[in-house]
Amino acid sequence: QTLSIKGKITDDAGIPVPGVTIQEKGTAAAAVTDAAGNYMLTVQPNATLLISHIGYLTQTIQAGSRSVINVSLAPEATGMADVVVIGYQTVRRKDLTGATGVVKMEDATKISTGSVAEQLQGLVPGVTVRNGGAPGQNAAIEIRGVGSFGNANPLYVIDGMIADANVTINPDDIASVQILKDASASAIYGSRAGNGVILITTKKGKSGEPRVTASAKYGIQQLHKTWDMMSAPQYLQTVKQEYANSAVALPADVTAQLNNNTINTDWQKATYQQAAYQDYNASISGGSGGGNYYLSGGYYSNEGTVAGNGFNRGSMRLNTEVKKGIVTVGENMLLSLSNGKYPGGGVNAFYNSAQMLPTIMVQGDQYKDANLYPANPGGWGLGSSNNPTYANNYLANVALDKVNFSYAKIVGNAYLGVKLTPWLDYKFNVGLETSFDYTKEVRDTGVWRYTNQPPQTFVSEGRSRYVNFLMEHTLNFNKTFGLHAINGVAGFSRADQGRDYTNASKNLLQDVNGNLFTTIGSALGAPAASGGLNNKWRNHGWLGRVNYAYADKYLLTVSGRIDQDSRFGPNYRTGYFPSAALGWRISKEDFFNVDWIKDLKLRGSYGKLGFSDVLTAWQYIGYLNTDPRAIYGTGQTPQVGAYQAVITNPNLRWETRLQTNVGADAQLFNNALAVSVDWYRSLSKDVLVLVPLPQYLGSAGSPYVNTGSIRNTGIEMAVTYKNYNHALKWDVSGNFTTIKNKVLSVGNQGVDVNGHAIDYLEPANFVRSQVGHAMASWYVIKTDGIFQNQGEIDAYKNKAGTIIQPNAKPGDIRYVDANGDGLINDQDRTFAGSPWPSLQTGLQFNASYKNFSLNMQLVGVFGNKIYDDVRRAIDNYQLTNFRKDINPWSPTNPGGTDPRLAVDNGNDPTVSVNNMGETNRWLENGSYVRLRNLEIGYSLPAAWTSKIKFHTARVFISAQNLLTITKYKGLDPDISNSNLGMRGLDSGFWPSSRIFSAGVNIDL
Amino acid sequence: CKKDLEIDNPNNPTINNFWKTATDAQTGVNSIYSTFHRVGFCRNQFFMTIVRSDEGFSTSPNSTLINNFDVFNVTNYNLWEATTVWYDLYMGINRANQVLDNVPNISMDNTLKAQYLGEAKFLRGFFYYYLATLWGNVPVLLKTSTPTDYPGTTQQADVYAQAEKDFTDAAAALPETYDGANVGRATKGAAYGMLGKCYMQMHDYAKAQQAFDWLINGNGKNIYRLVTNYRDNFVEASENNTESVFEIQNAVNTTDNHDDDTQGNSDNLNYGTSIPPFFAPRPIGFTDGQARRWCVWEFLVEKTNSGGRDPRVDASFLYDSTDVRGPDFSMIYGQSFSSRNYSNVSGDPIAVATTHTVYFRKFLDDAIINYEYFHSGNNYRYLRYADILLLYAEALNAQGQTTQAYAYVDKVRARAGLPTLSTAKPGLSQSQFLAQLKHERVTELCGEGHRWEDLVRWGDLSTALAARDAGFANYQDKYALLPIPQYDRDVNPNLKQNPGW
Repeated sequence: QTLSIKGKITDDAGIPVPGVTIQEKGTAAAAVTDAAGNYMLTVQPNATLLISHIGYLTQTIQAGSRSVINVSLAPEATGMADVVVIGYQTVRRKDLTGATGVVKMEDATKISTGSVAEQLQGLVPGVTVRNGGAPGQNAAIEIRGVGSFGNANPLYVIDGMIADANVTINPDDIASVQILKDASASAIYGSRAGNGVILITTKKGKSGEPRVTASAKYGIQQLHKTWDMMSAPQYLQTVKQEYANSAVALPADVTAQLNNNTINTDWQKATYQQAAYQDYNASISGGSGGGNYYLSGGYYSNEGTVAGNGFNRGSMRLNTEVKKGIVTVGENMLLSLSNGKYPGGGVNAFYNSAQMLPTIMVQGDQYKDANLYPANPGGWGLGSSNNPTYANNYLANVALDKVNFSYAKIVGNAYLGVKLTPWLDYKFNVGLETSFDYTKEVRDTGVWRYTNQPPQTFVSEGRSRYVNFLMEHTLNFNKTFGLHAINGVAGFSRADQGRDYTNASKNLLQDVNGNLFTTIGSALGAPAASGGLNNKWRNHGWLGRVNYAYADKYLLTVSGRIDQDSRFGPNYRTGYFPSAALGWRISKEDFFNVDWIKDLKLRGSYGKLGFSDVLTAWQYIGYLNTDPRAIYGTGQTPQVGAYQAVITNPNLRWETRLQTNVGADAQLFNNALAVSVDWYRSLSKDVLVLVPLPQYLGSAGSPYVNTGSIRNTGIEMAVTYKNYNHALKWDVSGNFTTIKNKVLSVGNQGVDVNGHAIDYLEPANFVRSQVGHAMASWYVIKTDGIFQNQGEIDAYKNKAGTIIQPNAKPGDIRYVDANGDGLINDQDRTFAGSPWPSLQTGLQFNASYKNFSLNMQLVGVFGNKIYDDVRRAIDNYQLTNFRKDINPWSPTNPGGTDPRLAVDNGNDPTVSVNNMGETNRWLENGSYVRLRNLEIGYSLPAAWTSKIKFHTARVFISAQNLLTITKYKGLDPDISNSNLGMRGLDSGFWPSSRIFSAGVNIDL
Repeated sequence: CKKDLEIDNPNNPTINNFWKTATDAQTGVNSIYSTFHRVGFCRNQFFMTIVRSDEGFSTSPNSTLINNFDVFNVTNYNLWEATTVWYDLYMGINRANQVLDNVPNISMDNTLKAQYLGEAKFLRGFFYYYLATLWGNVPVLLKTSTPTDYPGTTQQADVYAQAEKDFTDAAAALPETYDGANVGRATKGAAYGMLGKCYMQMHDYAKAQQAFDWLINGNGKNIYRLVTNYRDNFVEASENNTESVFEIQNAVNTTDNHDDDTQGNSDNLNYGTSIPPFFAPRPIGFTDGQARRWCVWEFLVEKTNSGGRDPRVDASFLYDSTDVRGPDFSMIYGQSFSSRNYSNVSGDPIAVATTHTVYFRKFLDDAIINYEYFHSGNNYRYLRYADILLLYAEALNAQGQTTQAYAYVDKVRARAGLPTLSTAKPGLSQSQFLAQLKHERVTELCGEGHRWEDLVRWGDLSTALAARDAGFANYQDKYALLPIPQYDRDVNPNLKQNPGW
């Protein structure tokens, strides 16, 4: 009566799919495929089989009288069937138990940028990205907040090679990016995974005819905003008023220019430029039999929106793999050469081009007067006692101090795989990341700032070699017993990293009739050299993971790593980093009967990670410092001195992260809606803190001690809705992230004057990382408007009747006497907001209609405060140009919202009080919503492409950073200070560019 | 496998391999001398010793300098300009302590060992002398620093006592002179000179006289004498001359770009001084420190034997009459004062030079170049024989031996071409003689960093000085000593703040 059916279930690529349910419709008879995709089921004759599996379209098959039924499943458009890399292993997305963010590469590749990190802004919840800004600058990327005072960078793994994915890597080669956010996902990377892990997989060839693709993108970029500064006539009138208010004589040139000024320089216009952006790529890939290949080449160039800057990169990638019997051999390799330039000397264009006076020319013969302007043969426009400013002439800086750099880089790995048994694979993986870096600085004669001391000309060349070598042995197993599926990995990993360097320089360049000779050999002066091995360390890691699944319903992952690292002090050589995660596919339970929920999985994880990449080699060992130089003898020759300069901490080790994650993933409404929610808590302990040593110990620096603690908690949510049912196909994805950061300990920082333990780090007097508050919170004196008249000043008293600001004048800022002692000083500082957003969001919208496509990406950041230090430099009115829209109080302008215009010369002490740095006058709302990208594409009709023998061809135009809605007065609210203790300080950050570009993608 | 994780640092030997040989002892001592070129000692201390006193003031655009070193408005106890001096002095002490702890265990030539230990003691005493004069009540550390050292405050008198002990030990051990390869290192005379200075500040004049005696009547008399040309004491060409008792040795590293002698890049280390641009006239320098005009007037009180102006004026100052013929002839870095177009703009925020402006000249390099770098090879003649002679006279006068004191002042006056005091002002009383000495010390030592100590010793610090230096209007007694850096008190609550702060 019954019929026994067997068969094999594969995916569309012919790969067996384990865990597929084969059910006889209308009965309880069911079977699940094994690891090889095989099943066996006994059914009634002429049964109807339902073949279903998460991530695949359910198929209905009439069995008829067949005894062998092989089925090829088509994937659903949910991505659930996708294979996801989780570190030393791949699993299906549906089986994930840890918090893993999967980047939608279609969105990422729409962004015009040099680095993969920058492409990710707004795409993945829990991932914070700040644009790099300057050409060739890496973007800042943080996963689930900042849990360290020193370093928030995640660990990158490229095709199994632990290597930095900075601007030397071509983003166009990337096929997928996965972000490991919790301990369960990351623990396999142990002591280096504490800031999260970004797994990058590059493109591989697929079986079939050679496929050739090419793409080109050309864009024009410029700053989307500049400061609205005064023109020369406006400046002259304002500065005249300012000096008159203070009864100070006007400097000579100002007087002269008031009478007859022919100079009106727009310094920002002179400094900023419209610049080209270019990105070209071509690839050929394919495969046959047991092998596949992918070969690509790319060229990227970013001219930079500020004069004197630029970056370009040429790259080549070759990925190949060959299978023969049980052996697989393959490699992935990138060669790239990156070049760039910027002016040396550290002058910031964004402060100085706003501050510089419009009454000073960029260059002019009058500035060659050696009496007034010493050491300025180029006649670069400078301030002087007659034209009072200390602002730098950025263009002089560009002309006089040139830095060029070049990074030649190899990143890749080669591997040998052996299939020992059908369920056991051995892999030997060797990876190498090498960079040969070269930097050259040439300093010509001249100065760029009033009272600069004339430097000697010099040329300085630095070369360094970075080698990061990885060697790994791993065993992967994968076996199914009935409804039990078990897989995992065990292995050993050895990392070996080091950088050595050589620097040489010589001063006194030859300048022969205007030809500057810029090699070390041609310079005539004294040589200087330094070199050595500035970092060298090794790590041994024993790693393992077991994934267990029962009936696709109950999932368990246990993973961990034991790390030994030469950077750890001898007493802490070994660290243990275990984790566990549970998953429950509740939608598979019999009792779960909700039609509109197709799939629902609950997840939970807990584990311990380490972070050690803030440590450098030999930090825990006391060593001899041979840098001192004594001078004596008639020849006054330097004599080497030596002693132990730094007191060391022998117990240095990794920072610890204890991470908890609870989440759920759901597919709703026939997979039209996908939702993923996570709650997390990451507790950083043993955080490295510089514990202050008293200066009387005479130590050259304080040692790091593992003593701080920081907690980050938050909620992440990602939602995707698709509607592909009509000619207008569209999808929208949105995500949001909250991160609540709290400092729990800063270690022993001593005791303050009142005998209280100091529970804060205070890198500047307006910002604090204090226990109980978010890191780098603003800690300032609050302002309360402007004194309108003497009466208000006299009436502004504390409870004891003390006049709080007795020296103030009408037009000065009223400060809040927070402690009520009748004085305004640092004791009145209070917390005034956080540099961390309370909410970060991203929204991506894609639509297509016939041959047209649209991509729109929005980024929203809310609730943070930025310290606008550039505005502080401008709005203090001293030795600077003024903003056009200032509204200074004056007797004739009593409603003025800015303080009175006056010269800070010591005779009028409250002017400097108005300009104190530690007040909320310089804090601004950092919230913004930005239309990050808008792209419209058109696929050429097949009728045309076939004529020119293309498979497909698509043209597009795009606008990046087209629109930003913000109250922030500075150039760009998208800032993050690399000093984590001063995170929200805008010290002249390079703003994101607005880029208009057009391009083409061709598939031959 | 374990070995794999033991990686030797190829850049630097570990401390365990050190302090074994005579060379180690020598380089250890060298590290102490290197302290003199750190930014605290080679630059910032002069704001305390010169600008803060009544001979100097500041029109710096950096109001921090004005507030803290001119007008006695100190609010920040962690001021960089002040704490760098404190820090560098203690860094020097740490270096000296490492030598004193380790060199005794090295088997080496005993004479040389004694000399090295003497140098270390001299230098440690020198740093404590500075701490005693500037901060007064400070922690005293005599062993290699460990992170758990939380000493209490030592009273100023005991800090001086420690310096006296170090100088006494050093005087016994140090050679009288060095050969050419070693000239500039601390000598027996330097130790006796510093010992005498300690006693002077403690008003122990008998012991001071005793210490100075070695230089004036002992073996030192054959070593030291005033140079003929006063200005030779302030130009590079005549460094380490017969008048030099202890001289901070500076040399130019033309490739310098930093002055932290622990940070690496020693080829780019500044082992000169960066003070000149801070004291030089605009537009060469920043005028962060300037001279009060009354200093010039002191020199004009008397004429030389030949009826001319005191030749020490032009060696001491750059101003409109550095050349006695006036602004057309007074050269400011290669150009006449009048051609520099200095105008009189009062209250200008960026400190324009005016026709009234006087600049200290002794540390400048205008003798050899027409600009200033942040490095200068001009040695700081910290302790000159002329200073010793005047202090000796002061010590004698203080003990009632006024008549005997005349001769030593006359030696100094004679070199300047002035009539002897015995003819100009015979028969001065003890107090009159002290008043005269105050004048003599201004004319001989103006702008060399001794004025603040002099005012302390004489008990002259008060608001009365506002008559010649307006900054003193705000002077209060607490300003006699600097506030102990709050940073150190935060970490070590055992340290007491100075009175009044």
